[in-house]
Amino acid sequence: MTNTVKFSTRNLNFFYGDFKALEDISFDIKKNEVSALIGPSGCGKSTYLRCLNRMNDLIPGTRVEGAVTLDNEDIYAPNVDVVNLRRRVGMVFQKPNPFPKTIFENVAYGLRVNGVRDKKILKQNVEKSLRQAALWDEVKDRINDSALGLSGGQQQRLCIARALAVEPDVVLMDEPASALDPIATQKIEDLIHELKKNFTIIIVTHSMQQAARVSDITAFFYMGKLIETGDTETIFTRPALKQTEDYITGRFG
Amino acid sequence: MSERHHFIKELEDLKLTILNMAALSRQALKNANTAYLERNDTLAQEVIDGDRKINALELEVDAKSLKLLALEQPMAKDLRVILGTMKISNELERIADQAVNIAERTLFLSQYPPLEPVASLERLMETTDQMIDLAINAFLDENADQAIKIRHMDDMADQYTLEILQAMILYMVKSTPATEKRILNTRRSIQTIIISRCLERAADLATNVGEHVAFIVKGINIKHQKVDFKE
Ligand SMILES: Nc1ncnc2c1ncn2[C@@H]1O[C@H](COP(=O)(O)OP(=O)(O)OP(=O)(O)O)[C@@H](O)[C@H]1O
Ligand SMILES: [Mg+2]
Repeated sequence: MTNTVKFSTRNLNFFYGDFKALEDISFDIKKNEVSALIGPSGCGKSTYLRCLNRMNDLIPGTRVEGAVTLDNEDIYAPNVDVVNLRRRVGMVFQKPNPFPKTIFENVAYGLRVNGVRDKKILKQNVEKSLRQAALWDEVKDRINDSALGLSGGQQQRLCIARALAVEPDVVLMDEPASALDPIATQKIEDLIHELKKNFTIIIVTHSMQQAARVSDITAFFYMGKLIETGDTETIFTRPALKQTEDYITGRFG
Repeated sequence: MSERHHFIKELEDLKLTILNMAALSRQALKNANTAYLERNDTLAQEVIDGDRKINALELEVDAKSLKLLALEQPMAKDLRVILGTMKISNELERIADQAVNIAERTLFLSQYPPLEPVASLERLMETTDQMIDLAINAFLDENADQAIKIRHMDDMADQYTLEILQAMILYMVKSTPATEKRILNTRRSIQTIIISRCLERAADLATNVGEHVAFIVKGINIKHQKVDFKE
């Protein structure tokens, strides 16, 4: 496993209008590691995640200060192609959101957007992505059925396959298993372990156990600030700060 | 996020069980010592009979801990408290076993006239008791620094044990040549050596308790470190 820094965040502030949602965040995310972002509701986890692929640009009245680099390049530089950035930094959301199309088309979507027309290449890539998302065996015989006929857990893995199809470097996951039952959750967690061989993963979760199980690094956010970050094992066995301890042991007022 | 009142209450309850067990184990050892010094068979028998209660408490601690681990998925210090508690209850149960062992020797020794008193034995009893007391209070106050203090006292306990052994060897060597009496003297001496060995064991176990407390409080294992640790 390499130790290269993938994402580097320096003194990041983020504003929704006048409201400062993130304050002075500095944080390095390493290649092929899983980083978990934890913290109480409204502490800025999703906001931070969306800063990493500039999804916040889509919200009017927002403003960013500080620096975020991906592979040492400033993602907020004026010449950055945001569409290309979002190809490199894919995202999976809380609720599975497949398009009302076939399973095949859902996965092929991003490839088509990126100009892939060759049927054979499309087929190859769709299969590869579905395999990576551990869904292929379950859907290979009904690849042209509607994606909406899949179970919630399958839909979520389909969305992961869709994100993987465009061959991103990083996958952002915002509470990817919160709408799933324990078995589907287990599959997503197993998948994360597999995916980190090829991708860098940043996951937001409200489940301490999930963060503990899947991540290498855990970052605790509170009221827009990054309070503590460290090896997941250290954070969950002997965190340095009382605020972190209180949060992960469920003693938050 | 809820404040987990229920869980916190159960953790407190677990700690209370440990304190209860600690009080019983310490008292068992004190009673065994008194029974030996005063040649009191009734008290020795009480120690032997009372061990069942301490064994039951150890099982209770295990069951409660297992339940909390399974149902509450504790993290960080909560997790350390539960792991530490399980280990401490095991040490306490073994301290009580040492008390039983001393009580059994006492039942044998009290049938015969007393040996010459050995000052180191009473000092060893005193030191071991203090170490157990310190360890219990360290647990109660979550004081990791006591572990070092207890470990220093353990060095004293080892020294006293050695002195007792030397005194007994001397006694066996110089005792009367008449065979019958010599065998009896040797037997009494060996029983006394075993008692000192039990006390020395109990002191080790108290040292372990101090180390588990340090683990609970600081999250570090100082068990096999020979150097003192600092904040
Ligand atoms: N579009 C928006 N406009 C204005 N304020 C927003 C917007 N989105 C989020 N916020 C505010 O920014 C803060 C951080 O929100 P964010 O969604 O990042 O929190 P979170 O940690 O992801 O919470 P949760 O765990 O509930 O998803 C909150 O106070 C929230 O109200
Ligand atoms: Mg969120």
